[in-house]
This record gives sequence, C-alpha cells and structure tokens, in this order.
Amino acid sequence: MSVYAVNYLCREVLRDHAFRAAMKADPASAIARYDLSEDERQALLAGDVAKLYRMGVNAFLMGYLPRFEVCGLTLPLYNERIRSAA
Amino acid sequence: MAEIVGALGVPHTPFYPSLVEREPQCETAKLFAAVTDALAAMQPDLIVMFDTDHLNTFFFDNLPIFAVGVADRFKGPNDEPRSVPIYTIKSRADLAGHIRGLAVEAGFDVAMTQQFTVDHSVVVPLHFMTPKMQIPVIPFFISGHLAPLPSAQRCFDVGLAVKKALQSWSEPLRVVVIGSGSFSLEVFGPRIAPGKSDGVPDPAWAKRVCALIEQGDIHRLIAEATPHQLQRAGNVGGELLDWIAMLGAIGGGPAKFVKPQLEQGHAYAAWNGG
Repeated sequence: MSVYAVNYLCREVLRDHAFRAAMKADPASAIARYDLSEDERQALLAGDVAKLYRMGVNAFLMGYLPRFEVCGLTLPLYNERIRSAA
Repeated sequence: MAEIVGALGVPHTPFYPSLVEREPQCETAKLFAAVTDALAAMQPDLIVMFDTDHLNTFFFDNLPIFAVGVADRFKGPNDEPRSVPIYTIKSRADLAGHIRGLAVEAGFDVAMTQQFTVDHSVVVPLHFMTPKMQIPVIPFFISGHLAPLPSAQRCFDVGLAVKKALQSWSEPLRVVVIGSGSFSLEVFGPRIAPGKSDGVPDPAWAKRVCALIEQGDIHRLIAEATPHQLQRAGNVGGELLDWIAMLGAIGGGPAKFVKPQLEQGHAYAAWNGG
C-alpha cells in the first residue's frame, strides 16, 4: 500500500517548505523519491484528487495541494474535482 | 484536590482568526468573546482540552485512539492557519502523567506523547480565549476523524475518568475542561459546498445536537451519536466526541448557555461546575 506515501508527501507540502517549493517548480522530480504506484504518480501529477480520494488518500492532507497551489491545483479546481467523488 | 469549575465547548475553524482580524465585529468574534468572558469568570488555573488532531500531531505511522500530551510546554499551531502566531503553551507534565495513569487504571489504554506540537484545533480557541497563554493546558487527544472511532459512551466515560483523576490530585487547582470541534462539517472532502473548502453535510444533526446539549439530555445524545451518524455529519463530524468527553468530565448538567452557529455546523457553550 503506497497510499501511505501519498498521504505522507501531501503533509510534507505543509511541513517542508523546500519540498513545497520543489513541488511548485517541478512536481515530477519532487515526487521521484517517493515509493508510489504508477497510478498514484499519474493521478498526483494530474491533480486528480477525485481518483486519489477513491484510492484512499485522506482529504485533509490533499487539501494542502490546492492551499499551496501545487500539482496545478487551485481551490476552485480542487472543489470541482473532489465534489465529483461524492 | 483539583476541581473542575467549568466547561466550554468551542469550534476551532482555522480561518476564524483571519476572519476576526478582518471583521472584528463579526458574529464569530462576538461568539468567541462570550466564551472568553465565561472562561475568565471561571478563574481557571489549568485547562484540559479534549481535541481531535488533523494528522498533524499524530500520523498514519502511529495513531492512538486516546492520548495525553505529557510535557511542561508545547508549541503550535503546526499547520499554518492564517493570522495565528506560533505560540509556546505551558502545560503540566506531572498532572498530565497522573491523568494518564489513573485513566489506564480505570481501563482506558491512553497513549502519551512527551514531545509534540499541536494544530489549529488546540490553538485557534486559545488564540481567541487566552492569547497571553498564561494558563497551562493539558491536551487530551481523541481520534475523532478516522474510522474506527471510539464510541460516544466510551468518550463520555473517559471524560469521567479524567474528572476522577483531577479529584485525586492533592494540589488545589481550578480546572476548566474544553471540548474543541464541530458537529457537522466536511473539510476538503467530496461533501464540501460549491466554491468552498468546507461544507455542512447534515445541518439537521447539528441542530439536534444543540437541542440535546441545551436540554442536558446527554444520554440521548450518546445514544444517537453512533459512528454511522458521526460519519454522515461529515469527515470531521466525530469531533462531537470531544464535546462528549468534556460533558463526561463536567457531569453533563444543564448548560449556562449554548449559542449555535448552525450554518457553520457548530456551537459555543459553557457549563458551570458543581
């Protein structure tokens, strides 16, 4: 289960400001060191939070992605996508 | 003995500090002023706060159902809510350890942490009510967000165990217990409102909770606060368990006041001890 790694790196966006900056600049490189499945990697880079949610990623932690505008996410975009997972 | 002289129930919405900074006369400012006045009138020497962490103090590597912070000080918030400085909050490792010891003796397997930071759920209410951080705070963490949740009855009973532990402490202290959290709220999950980062999925439940609290019908509240209902109330609906533990500690009598803020899915309330 690498959902743990997705949850972990979402929290790192909050906690580690260098990682946050790296996620803004070049997310594909920034997440390279994490042990993610190909599905997770693609969903994350696409900002597909509905898919990540269905895979079991925690919503509070995913909230850090639009809050700090990484993976192409803004609050309106996140809102639209996560609501589609209802 | 340490005596519980009062109790409060409060929300901890992370954007309230910036909202109140922008609009000092808003409803939230007035409601927090009411609980701040109630707290001041109780003249507490110590606060025990029942709280649910949002994966900031604890994480999936280690996720206790119940835990006490056992330290002489801790810092927070660790999750950057706007307009909130990072505070150092005094605590009491000796009394926190005593509470844990007696809770374990009473059958509650309470974890502890000695080095920790806390998130907005502890700090936002303190930011409004005790901005000088002059009153020591013991945080009692309840896992109210992620299934499996502890039962409402068990949370009420652990509150009672905290009360008994305080009563067996030799030093005379005036203690206020606080329950921090919402009744119906979804945060960043699929049930958020259009255009917002949160939503109130079950306003009828929030209203029901307020009515039961106001009537002092805590046994009915416990019976109705099933894991299914808490989940239906939103992904932070289980924060009601923090209020229920607080009610266990204060004894669940009639409230001094309950001020609902139903469109936000929560309320502000105070009880006198006795």
